[in-house]
Amino acid sequence: MRFEASVLLLMLACSKTPEPTPVVRATSTPVNAIPGHESLREDTTHKEGPRLMVAETYMRSYLAIFGGLSPLDSQAALVGAGATRDNNLFDRWADYLAALGMPDYKSDIDRSAQTNALMVAAFERTGIALCDRAVENDLRGSRPVDQRIVFAFEGGPEVASDTAFATRFDIVHRTFLGYPAELAPTTNRTSKFYNLYKQAKANQTAPDAGRFRLTADEAAWAAVCYALIRHPEFHFY
Amino acid sequence: MSSSPSRRTFLKLLSGSILASVAPMRAVADTLLSSDEFFVFIHASGGWDVMLFADPRNEAKGIIMPPSTANTTTTGIRRWVNSPLGDGSSSFSMVQPSGSKIVFGPAIGNLADHYDRITLVNGLAMNTVSHPDGTAFSSTGRHLAGGRSPASSIDTVIANELGVEQLLPSISVAFPSYVAGNINARAMPLKVDAIGSVGKVLTRTPNQEPSATRDAVTVLLTDEARELAKQAYYADAYEGLALQYEALRGMLDGNLKDAFTDASLRTKYPMFNYKGTFQGPRCVNLAFALEAMTRNIARCIGLSFAGFDTHASNYDDHAATQQEMFDALAQLIVQLESTKHPTKNSSTLADHTHILVFSDFCRTPQINLRSGRDHYPNNSAIVLSPKFRSNVCFGSTDPEQLLPSATFKAALGMRAPAPPDLLATFIAAFGVDPTPYMRDGEVIKELLT
Repeated sequence: MRFEASVLLLMLACSKTPEPTPVVRATSTPVNAIPGHESLREDTTHKEGPRLMVAETYMRSYLAIFGGLSPLDSQAALVGAGATRDNNLFDRWADYLAALGMPDYKSDIDRSAQTNALMVAAFERTGIALCDRAVENDLRGSRPVDQRIVFAFEGGPEVASDTAFATRFDIVHRTFLGYPAELAPTTNRTSKFYNLYKQAKANQTAPDAGRFRLTADEAAWAAVCYALIRHPEFHFY
Repeated sequence: MSSSPSRRTFLKLLSGSILASVAPMRAVADTLLSSDEFFVFIHASGGWDVMLFADPRNEAKGIIMPPSTANTTTTGIRRWVNSPLGDGSSSFSMVQPSGSKIVFGPAIGNLADHYDRITLVNGLAMNTVSHPDGTAFSSTGRHLAGGRSPASSIDTVIANELGVEQLLPSISVAFPSYVAGNINARAMPLKVDAIGSVGKVLTRTPNQEPSATRDAVTVLLTDEARELAKQAYYADAYEGLALQYEALRGMLDGNLKDAFTDASLRTKYPMFNYKGTFQGPRCVNLAFALEAMTRNIARCIGLSFAGFDTHASNYDDHAATQQEMFDALAQLIVQLESTKHPTKNSSTLADHTHILVFSDFCRTPQINLRSGRDHYPNNSAIVLSPKFRSNVCFGSTDPEQLLPSATFKAALGMRAPAPPDLLATFIAAFGVDPTPYMRDGEVIKELLT
């Protein structure tokens, strides 16, 4: 009896075609279509604070961007030789490692995870030496573009217009910060740097400025280089 | 600098809003930002023997084997006067200058002459005999957690509360500075291994381009950092960088290079014993502290003296090592007493300078098999501050084991004082609530004026 009932139930179950279940699909809705969000913009910013790169990365970046020399060779090049020798421009990498944030296990000083005023001063000190030597190497004489280290743009350091500056600045900007200048998140970055360029040029030729080793155009490009190698986007990721 | 007023305003607004948001008990954040006080924190690195200066013992009692002619080189220890131990060797006679309520050991050196400025804390319970842990515990009031300090050190705390408007809120020369929690970006200690290395960082060649060009670069970068901060979800790093760019301009404008040059400091302050066998080179750091206070450029200066970790026969020189450090400290006090305060014409620096000296822990009362002393979970500290009751010794250790005694009437009953209590007291002395910084510390009211 139980068997027949089971067979009957099975037959009934198989004979009935199931009703199709309605499919509920989630539709995409713009944020401002959600009630209460009409005036709110979608927040696409990173939800993590910028972090300081480890100091070894700076050293590697400096060495890679400025010619790929070893630390000792670059040190010798930065100090210079003969007429260009200048201990006030640079002396030894070892003098700046602690300030750049490297750990010193001998003195039990740990790695710096945040910037400080002294570190910023060390960035300036090393940046000036690197940029000044790069300017001297790249922009003096008529060195071909493919032999230049940092200022790998066509032509010399003289800039006749803001358009000419923008073209050259974009190349240097990509070298240091890794993307085109026109995509910079800050406003009018190219024109701000052009103003810096013009100001540095004027400073170099001011009547009371004194005598300097760099020409006005060289000093102007050196200033642009300082600002890029010390830029917040160069330090944080 | 033409931008100075707006910078001050900006800093006040920034710091005021941060302080007001994290610490409701601070009623008027603005008043905390202006201070005429200076702070010097000194770490005697390695663990000092308190029986030689702060908690003197000259009798063999219990497990105590006191410093004696059998284990200590007494030549040159000016205050050492033999006191026979009965075994053929001699310990020392107690040192108590006329008028002093504090009894010292002979290694205190010239610092004993300044007993009327000293607040001595003995019998600090350390609960550790590890160098990193003891150092962190002494400077932060917390033990290390997973090798990291969960709290900020005392110099960072004071810089955060009283120093953010100063050009250099905190400079740490091999001092155990730690940063944890919600600390203003400007209060981050500048950690350096030696003062001389700072001078080089601030050197700029006059031959390549004028300083106006470098200054223009820094101004541009300050603007860029500010704009990036406005766009960032977490703006702290960019805001901190903008403030540091401004601080750099101040340092270069003020020609601070000389203040950080070893040679110029030695020339300007010849009274320190730079040729001392054990602490000579470190006296430059005291000269720097003096210069930084005179120029009013720093609020907190953390320094370190070393050479106290004497596990073997080098314990012979422990007394001499201490004496050189305390002599240097005494010289600093003499200079502070004769130097005018940079902003308060009627005061000397001594009236507004607060010094805290501590170590990792102390050394064992027993002499070990290598003729040295090992680590021991007791400690002492010295405070030299007009905010503290002076010519006072607080706390004690038991006579036979040199372990901390329960002398502090804390909220839950009598117990031995510990570093967080001393640090909380130090913070409270300046009207700052220590609770957010010192989880475990209770203010020792008996120590305050």
